[in-house]
Amino acid sequence: MVKKTRRKKALLSGNEAIAYGAYEAGLEVACAYPGTPSTEILESLAQFHELDVQWSVNEKVAYEVAFGAATAGVRSLFACKHVGLNVAMDPLMTSSYTGTLAGFVIVVCDDPGMHSSQNEQDTRWVALYSKLPLLEPSSPAEAREFVKEAFKISERYDTPVMLRMTTRVSHTKEDVRLGSRTVPRHPRFERNIAKYVMVPAHARQRHVVVERRLRRLAALAERTRLNRIEAGQKKLGFITSGVAYQYLKEAYPDASVLKLGMSYPFCDETMRQFAKSVKDLVVVEELDPFLEEHVKTLGIKFHAKDPSFRLGELTPECIRDVVAGKPKRQMKVSKRLPRLCPGCAHWASFAALKKLDAYVAGDIGCYSLACLPPLSALHSCLCMGAGVTFNEGWRKAAPDKRIIGVVGDSTFVHSGITGLINAAYNKAKGVIMILDNSTTAMTGGQQHPATGLTIRNEPTKKLILEDVCRACGADNVDVVDPKDIKAFRAIVERRANEDALSVIISRHPCKLIRR
Amino acid sequence: MNDLTHSITFGGIGGQGILKASEICGWAALFAGYHVKTSEVHGMAQRGGSVESHVRFGQKVHSPLIPTGGADFLICFHHDEHSRLQRFLKEGGVDLTLYLDSAKQAIDDPRYLNTCLVGVLSAKLPIQYDSWMKAIERVFKRPVVAENKTVFRAGRKIGQS
Repeated sequence: MVKKTRRKKALLSGNEAIAYGAYEAGLEVACAYPGTPSTEILESLAQFHELDVQWSVNEKVAYEVAFGAATAGVRSLFACKHVGLNVAMDPLMTSSYTGTLAGFVIVVCDDPGMHSSQNEQDTRWVALYSKLPLLEPSSPAEAREFVKEAFKISERYDTPVMLRMTTRVSHTKEDVRLGSRTVPRHPRFERNIAKYVMVPAHARQRHVVVERRLRRLAALAERTRLNRIEAGQKKLGFITSGVAYQYLKEAYPDASVLKLGMSYPFCDETMRQFAKSVKDLVVVEELDPFLEEHVKTLGIKFHAKDPSFRLGELTPECIRDVVAGKPKRQMKVSKRLPRLCPGCAHWASFAALKKLDAYVAGDIGCYSLACLPPLSALHSCLCMGAGVTFNEGWRKAAPDKRIIGVVGDSTFVHSGITGLINAAYNKAKGVIMILDNSTTAMTGGQQHPATGLTIRNEPTKKLILEDVCRACGADNVDVVDPKDIKAFRAIVERRANEDALSVIISRHPCKLIRR
Repeated sequence: MNDLTHSITFGGIGGQGILKASEICGWAALFAGYHVKTSEVHGMAQRGGSVESHVRFGQKVHSPLIPTGGADFLICFHHDEHSRLQRFLKEGGVDLTLYLDSAKQAIDDPRYLNTCLVGVLSAKLPIQYDSWMKAIERVFKRPVVAENKTVFRAGRKIGQS
């Protein structure tokens, strides 16, 4: 965590640099739900006390609150991890149509290599799909600059702007120059029905605007300083973006490079011109062939990485193989796997489930680690909230099996509540166990509505989980401490054998909570 | 590769203070006027997984990661991680893991192992003593600054011997 400083330079992670850049750009509202590798963006922003910063219930809510603020006239930011953006896709797609009054920036952090994620999706496709401009910093210092640029583009082109980070950029620290804060004059908030009410008649008109905007943004991509040609030797040239640029500069200091800081819309003319200037052209990018597929359509001759490199992070050690088009070499390096902390209450909860020999529908959180031996007591992990809904789905297919759904407290608030209502409404039965450690543990212990504290640890209205569960329609709601082993097992066994919809709140605070 | 780039690989397991160690190093290099990049993976490390951190400084640093065979120094906080990380050490690079046991003996509280090992490392790097002191003041909360400085100096003595 970075303390406030008057010094001109600070050692900042990419995420902290985003916070400083946004602050300097006059940001006023920021919303997010925690998720590695994006969490530190909001945590850093929360240190600037003049900002309105919140942990939201989930990414959809976060997106809407932040975007709402932007459409009413203050610069706002939404941050998430790649899979978090999926949750916010509904507002995102149509916000592209309405545009915004004040600057709005979507910071999304991808996780190539899946250091702590359930998939490896390449979010650059979202820019193409939603027709939003996409910026890709390759270092923390650039992250600070780019976020400022993103706000300008957002206002000049009346569009949300995507800023895509990756774990490597988010969690690298660099000495970053700090600037002062300037809040731009607020544009006037007014009623503009044709622009902000997306009924079909208006949306048809706005789609025309979106397509026109895309052409203007493509023209910007040709002249922005975010895209630059670094002319070197004529023999070898690279088109690249993100952290791959840094690896190339180190391994091939003399080569020519077209470095894309604004990677969508594509700068076709610049790409053609660059391709002409070098003998051998190689497109080097992490994950999917996003640039590659497009450069192909330009009819340019080039080389690209072997498809085996669409998996995982690029690294300085593999960059020469990538450039040479060689397949990925499997490196045998044994790593210590993460596991549940010694003494964690989840051990006790899952020991009880193991004793029941239940099929356990899991969810996203520390407790996903219960799938590992010796417990091996969690049998699915798909997305936020699916612990609750899989219980219902599995029961339809396998009514004779013993099925339990588990979900964390923060995850339940994020996406579990709707699933529980659905189960009650559709007469589903079974046991949903809320593994309540009273924090968002996996991401490092963030507050959420059921902790009763805000992102700045200020007291607020506390969501009472047992009341919510009853209101959703659960027949039984028990609150038990899993460390009280006998009582806990008795309740679990009793509820598992009843024909009812029950919620067991397995409550024991995480030992790592910082208070 | 730029020969003027200094590269250090830290490794260990979650909870050993590896990220703090690289942070001290990064700030010290910053105060000494270098361009710095440090890189770490700490997604699920809090749950006892492997942690690895790379610190690089020099005139201009590109890659935040040290390539195989590119580290001038390697420091493992846990012997188990050594076999995994020694590939980073360059030919002629210095393996400071051999100081691990003497560092452990030099301190009373195992929580200070990270600062002690940074002290060992400091004896080998072109960063002035004052920059290290400023870095410690920057990185730690005030009540533990003095103790960290003491432990750092103990480590530095080991590194100088």
